[in-house]
Amino acid sequence: MTASPLPTNTTAGSGPQPPTPAERAPGLGARILRAVLTQREMLLVALIVIVLAYMSYESYAGYLTADYDVDYIAGAMIDLVPLAMLALAELVVIVSGRGGIDLSVGSIASLSGMVFGFAYGEWNWPLGLAIALAAVVGAALGAVNGLLVAYLGFPALIATLATYYAYSSIAIVIHDQKPISTTEIQQMYSLTRSVEIPGLGSVLPSIPLGVFTFLLPTVVVVWLALNRTTYGRRLYAIGTNDTAATWSGVHVARTRLTAYVVAGLVSGLVAVYITAQFASARPDAGTSGNGLALPAITIAVLGGVAITGGIGRVSGVVLAALLITWLDAGILLMFEGNEGTQAQLLALGAVLIFAALLNAYTTRRYGGTR
Amino acid sequence: MSGLSLAVRRQRIIAPPVSGQELVLLVVIAALWVVLGLTTPAFLTSDSIRPLFVQVAPIALIGVGMTFVIIAAGIDVSVGSSLMVCAVVAAKLLVDQGAAGPLAVLVSILLGALLGAVNGVLIAWGRVHPIIITFGTLNVFQWIGRQVFGSSTVNGIPGTFDVFGRGDAGSTLGIPHSFLLTLVIAALAWWYLRQTPGGRHYYAIGGDPVAADLAGVRVRRRVAAAYVLTGALVGLAAVFTIAAGTSTLDQSVGSGLELEVIAAVVIGGTSIVGGRGSVLGTLLGALLVQTVTSGVTQLGWPTQLSSFFVGVFVVIAVGADLVREHTRRRAA
Repeated sequence: MTASPLPTNTTAGSGPQPPTPAERAPGLGARILRAVLTQREMLLVALIVIVLAYMSYESYAGYLTADYDVDYIAGAMIDLVPLAMLALAELVVIVSGRGGIDLSVGSIASLSGMVFGFAYGEWNWPLGLAIALAAVVGAALGAVNGLLVAYLGFPALIATLATYYAYSSIAIVIHDQKPISTTEIQQMYSLTRSVEIPGLGSVLPSIPLGVFTFLLPTVVVVWLALNRTTYGRRLYAIGTNDTAATWSGVHVARTRLTAYVVAGLVSGLVAVYITAQFASARPDAGTSGNGLALPAITIAVLGGVAITGGIGRVSGVVLAALLITWLDAGILLMFEGNEGTQAQLLALGAVLIFAALLNAYTTRRYGGTR
Repeated sequence: MSGLSLAVRRQRIIAPPVSGQELVLLVVIAALWVVLGLTTPAFLTSDSIRPLFVQVAPIALIGVGMTFVIIAAGIDVSVGSSLMVCAVVAAKLLVDQGAAGPLAVLVSILLGALLGAVNGVLIAWGRVHPIIITFGTLNVFQWIGRQVFGSSTVNGIPGTFDVFGRGDAGSTLGIPHSFLLTLVIAALAWWYLRQTPGGRHYYAIGGDPVAADLAGVRVRRRVAAAYVLTGALVGLAAVFTIAAGTSTLDQSVGSGLELEVIAAVVIGGTSIVGGRGSVLGTLLGALLVQTVTSGVTQLGWPTQLSSFFVGVFVVIAVGADLVREHTRRRAA
């Protein structure tokens, strides 16, 4: 497990520990294994390098259907934005503990996307106000989850499963199963164009605008909230042991409710981005296929978030999102037609199982909080 | 505490055969049928009721296995994808190989059990939360299924499975065979869970796996067996699904099924955190889910609205369960 801000896991750090006379110093192999398993960010960076190197080689050797070059890698980050944001939403919810998970993020994105479509596309609200409305609707839908889980004691799995049902159904029925794609909405596509970074345009490729307008602010705010505020400390505390947190004066229910509200709010912002990306507010934007919740949970788990709560870091989640995005982008080029999208399913499933087994093994061997 | 009430409590070691939630469900289903019968006269005719029972069979059947899984504090969200794999393999066997009915049924059940065994082994021995593992296998199975599909659909499925279909060949005295078979399997499972030590072990595991282990229950084997059973029932349900459908099978088969099955089990009063539940409740839960789905269609409302009502029913059912648990804790 990645180094946790909690004392339970400090033994899992990689720093040299004073050897007791009875113990033999661990060999180099054991030390490397421990470093790889306990430093999730290191592992992810290594995997990203491997993926990029392998795909570039395949591209160089001409096995891919298109070039896997720097521009393609940068362009693929258009898909990174919604994935990474929803994975951060899952991070906050899963860290809050007591089986915390949010299966409804995709359907919240669908429903608040439709509301955004109405506000911006049909009622001609100003863009800023419409985005604020989408965020508020998302937060309200998240608050329903939070009330069920934190105050009424519903298991998060079943509460968010039920609201997944309900929200996606409303999103489809609200506009007679039709997407909203008026001129205003279609023109939003320009928001996802790629831009040059000022001053570095000749060195770095153009990066999709959404990375700066949506993803970076979310990452910074979530990181600050988790690591530099009292709220963050409380969240990790209730995720680790909510009885202990109660006795140390934390309002457990309110803290947990807030986690679900945050997840809903982020999903509402994702809805705006997806609407711009598809130039249309689609009623099934977050639920078509296997939906957005599954990749988001996969990325969170791969990023080292413990499903039991209390453990997980922003940096791990962002790196995992980059890994999945660039892996998916590469797989798409390895096959003709829709074989690629199918292989992505396999990759996502296999990565999730592998990451979960790895997390469980690491926790048992080095973390010991199970 | 007086001696009298102690004696009363002693008789209650095994729960009564019909719980409060099941009675409530019966009343709700009856009320829905009366309301639907009054508003849409076509609802209570045999033309409408028989398809309802044909459609409820796969949900109830997988629900039986899912009841074992959830009583043991697990969950399986991969059933929709494994049904897709079983259905496409069985359909291809019939179309390409011209296989006999019983052989195709057997292959489908064994294949389902194999997919269930993958889940079971990973969950029991990998010690990872079941939702994570089955979320992963959901994708892997989906990939397998689509590889087998190859082109987009399987066409020209012969009527080999008509004995489980919605036509006249598929029913005796107006009751569909698929539903009868589901009832028989559910009755066996009901007896097993209530009356045999093996069945009681599942409740023990769901209550406290560590305590169950210390009491000599082979926790891992039991847990793995629950997923294998669910998989095998998915295999049989795949046969029912082919039989109830048209001669064409498309790739959307089984999508969203896991939600209906889990909803049926939870609405039936099985506690999602494990340790409590019954197969009878699951049957009624499946009937309620299918009644809502059929009712929405017959009233001419958008089909997707049914999942809204199912979601609301899940919240109500779990809420009722939480209230019961709360009052029981307070009484104890």
